[in-house]
Amino acid sequence: MASSRTKGVVGSAKGNDTCMILSVETLPESTLRDAIGLLVRLIESAGALIIFIGAVWAFVQFVRAGLRGRGKVAGFNRIRLSLGQFLVLGLEFQLAGDVLRTAVAPSFAEIGQLAAIAAIRTALNYFLGREIAQERAEIERSETTPPPRAKGLPT
Amino acid sequence: MNAWLQAGAVLITGLGLVAAAAAWRLTHSVRAALAVLLDFLTAAGLLRLAGEPSWDSTIVAAAVIALRKLLGASLHLSSANRTTPGGARPLSPGR
Repeated sequence: MASSRTKGVVGSAKGNDTCMILSVETLPESTLRDAIGLLVRLIESAGALIIFIGAVWAFVQFVRAGLRGRGKVAGFNRIRLSLGQFLVLGLEFQLAGDVLRTAVAPSFAEIGQLAAIAAIRTALNYFLGREIAQERAEIERSETTPPPRAKGLPT
Repeated sequence: MNAWLQAGAVLITGLGLVAAAAAWRLTHSVRAALAVLLDFLTAAGLLRLAGEPSWDSTIVAAAVIALRKLLGASLHLSSANRTTPGGARPLSPGR
């Protein structure tokens, strides 16, 4: 009865009530788990690295701008916008890691934790995206609006 | 990896404090400095969430991010009130 084409067929026959368990070992679960674990680590490390680099870059820019003096608020907003973009990019990587993690779902507790983290990241991604859009609109508005002329000065 | 991420998060928090001071020097606005500090605290929270977080760290990160959103919204609201003609005005001294 059992097909000889399939490898790894385990058959156990007990009289007429034959119970046949078919398990095709194309990719062992442990190998899949290891491969996904490695990929998740790589992707999450990339996300964390992007966030770290963005924070350090923004720090350097803020300190440089602060040392140069006041009155350059447009530059300040631009640095904040760039930091937000770094954070969103890092979050996207971390969300990709979450999606990969769902390929292997070992226990209910881990699924719950994964859902909580993914919800936090998704909500944060949404709010950061909105903030970036607002900042960008503010910068564009300040660039298109001509600076006010000083009163009393000869033209 | 978790130790590296924790160290990075602490470092980013410290950088955020200095950057907030620089932002205050640049704009002379506490609101702007607080917004910068909150941005850096969000980055630190995101770093803490990477790796293999426990339930405790997840809840702490969520609380920090929620607090950040709340403070950011209140800052935004206060600035809108100041710029809107019909908004709340600063109290004048009693006569």
